[in-house]
Amino acid sequence: MQPVLLDLAASSPLDPRVRDCLIQHLDEVHGNPSSRHAIGIQARQTVEHARRQLARCVGAAPNGIVFTSGGTEANNLGILGSVPKRGPGRILMGPTEHASVRLATAQLAKQGFDVETLRLTRDGQLDLDHATERMNEEVLLVTQMLVSNELGTHYPVKQLARLAKARCGEVHFHCDGVQALGKMDLDLEDLGIDSLAISAHKIHGPKGQGALVMGPNSETGPLFFGGSQEKGMRPGTENVPSIAAFSLAADLAHEGRQAFKESAEVCHRELEEALTGISLVYQDSMDGAHILQTKGCVNSICAVHLPGPPAEVWQHHLEKHGVFIGVGSACQSTSKEVSPALLALGLDATSARQIARFSFSRETTPNDIGIAANALHKVARSLEKLSP
Amino acid sequence: MITELRVPDVLLLRYGELALKGGNRASFENTLVRNLHGALKPLGGGTITRRWGRIQIQPEGRWREAMKACAQTFGTKSVSPAWNTERNLDSMIAMGRTLLANKLQEYPPEARPTFRVTVKRADKDFPMTSGDLAIAIAEGMLDDDSPVLVQMKNPDIEFNIDLRPEGVFAFLDRLPGPGGLPVKTLGRGLCLLSGGIDSPVAAWSAMKRGLKVSFVSFHSPPYIGEGSRMKIRDLIRVLANWQGPSELNEVQFAEIQETIRNGAPESLRTILYRRSMQRISSHLARRSKAGALITGENLGQVASQTLENLACIGAAANVQVLRPLITYDKEEVIRLAKHIGTYEVSIREEPDCCTVFQPRKPALRARADECETVEADLNLGAIEETVVRAAHMERIHPDS
Repeated sequence: MQPVLLDLAASSPLDPRVRDCLIQHLDEVHGNPSSRHAIGIQARQTVEHARRQLARCVGAAPNGIVFTSGGTEANNLGILGSVPKRGPGRILMGPTEHASVRLATAQLAKQGFDVETLRLTRDGQLDLDHATERMNEEVLLVTQMLVSNELGTHYPVKQLARLAKARCGEVHFHCDGVQALGKMDLDLEDLGIDSLAISAHKIHGPKGQGALVMGPNSETGPLFFGGSQEKGMRPGTENVPSIAAFSLAADLAHEGRQAFKESAEVCHRELEEALTGISLVYQDSMDGAHILQTKGCVNSICAVHLPGPPAEVWQHHLEKHGVFIGVGSACQSTSKEVSPALLALGLDATSARQIARFSFSRETTPNDIGIAANALHKVARSLEKLSP
Repeated sequence: MITELRVPDVLLLRYGELALKGGNRASFENTLVRNLHGALKPLGGGTITRRWGRIQIQPEGRWREAMKACAQTFGTKSVSPAWNTERNLDSMIAMGRTLLANKLQEYPPEARPTFRVTVKRADKDFPMTSGDLAIAIAEGMLDDDSPVLVQMKNPDIEFNIDLRPEGVFAFLDRLPGPGGLPVKTLGRGLCLLSGGIDSPVAAWSAMKRGLKVSFVSFHSPPYIGEGSRMKIRDLIRVLANWQGPSELNEVQFAEIQETIRNGAPESLRTILYRRSMQRISSHLARRSKAGALITGENLGQVASQTLENLACIGAAANVQVLRPLITYDKEEVIRLAKHIGTYEVSIREEPDCCTVFQPRKPALRARADECETVEADLNLGAIEETVVRAAHMERIHPDS
């Protein structure tokens, strides 16, 4: 039984072309990019080529790219690296941010910053009116993700950035773009933001690789010290093969974004249809499965209400049928904490635990959704046995 | 200048309570030596000799790891890294100076730790008494510039000389061992291991009293994920550091839970699950010749842990049930779990019972006869027999 992976926002398999690139560089590029001999220069050229390739995918200048160990480090660098020297002051944070953003701003709160969480509207979009009200000259940092890793909502970052720049004076605008890369046009300059975090393994690239993309006016400083690599922004010998593989993965994702958008739309529709047939009598009430529709969702991330027991029970039952879905963000999956994103949407703790995430990559096909639909039906029937 | 200290020549291991065990003494000592061999084996082994109520170990591998393994072997009271010296005053003084100089590096320069010399003289041929020799060594080691203050009672640093027929041993430190009795000297027990904080501590406590502990865990896929199985194995890996490779029996429990959930009064569910676990474990205990079940049960830790419920659950076992933690406070259990090394694993959030099986309001005073009627109706015995037959056994090695 070929497993059907529908948890691809957590991580995605390496694209064979990216794998070849990774292996080729592991085998062939041995130098330290900081060495001045020919072997070192070969490695440096590889890194600089990758930088240019990645910059093209995100509408940034190559010298704005800082390679990091992943999205979490990039978010930390974008937030902690850009604010402290100007603080303390106010920080506005998106309502559904990833733990790497929430916990980085929590560090700043400990240092005396006033961190305020923005709100969602009833339809799950960012409440821009509220955000506007909260803006003033004391705001030093605004951080807002582009696409929610849990809900799939595509937030109006460009509008928010424009408002912030107009109302907050010298504000740094950071954006977690980890779930946006490869799903849409991504243009730093057009978004009008100062830093953007991205990650390789969400787009069929290697794990442990990401980047912070910085705008020309960004005053971000390093979190680590010890060398002049990445212009001193991220000292330490560069992971050359991984960087090369990342830029190829980004290039492939960027080129394929329109096709992915279309295939995700089909998969989304199929899933929506499949879910209409799934219902359960549980603890004396009838409950049905459905996708949580927030306004402006990308089709490749679907927050799904599953009826009856907590979604984790569905997850393990589906596993038995070779179908893998996500429950909670993988970064908080071992925590009893209920997802703040789901609470921000107005769900109570019990309903929040009934939310699973089905997420697709460009390799997901309607056939995969068909297999998942079958499995969902089988699981519903076996869970129904438990209904009194 | 500080002389570089060489690797210790021997580890001196003292054992406690088992020295008192009269007729059993030799067999207890032999078991301890066997257990020490087992503990050292993954570290490269070593030579172990028993002499004069003490054990001497010459490890093949790294001595610090060997010492730690000895200090995790039940029956051990303490272990000291020791150095051989020649049988004359000058050698003893020279060794004392080297050891003291190295020890003082652990203190800030301005510190004035207290110090004494202690001599034990099992070798009565040596021409000085213990007291005279101790004074002579101290006088030779210390001068006006010495950064230590002599104090006979509870000194910070104690330089020991053991004069024995087979050699002279010098040492400073004593790493305390866990005490107790060597594992296996009192037979076998079977511990019902959940992923919580308590049951691993209960298992450890039973090991400490000389039982070799096997484990049984109850797994309910697909209600519970693989993470819980991994957690159980990780817990046993830590516990195996204390008793060597350990057996795990894994029982598939979902069908029993489904049967109880769908057929029994809701309030009795948890009690019935636990009674079933006791019956299954009793079967497994007899199979592995274990003389007792060991549980992490505690009086009143949660509302349903009443005397009546404990009795009702225990009545289902037909092997005696040991509950080492019955009267412990949670804080005491947590402190022990941290000492044992299981705490970090136990607090990993993996459910051990799926919410669909939990009753909204568990019974506080269940009666065994009431449970027996329900169990007969559900024909649980037949399912239990099947899962006992299908129980999967594996051997888990220490994580060191």
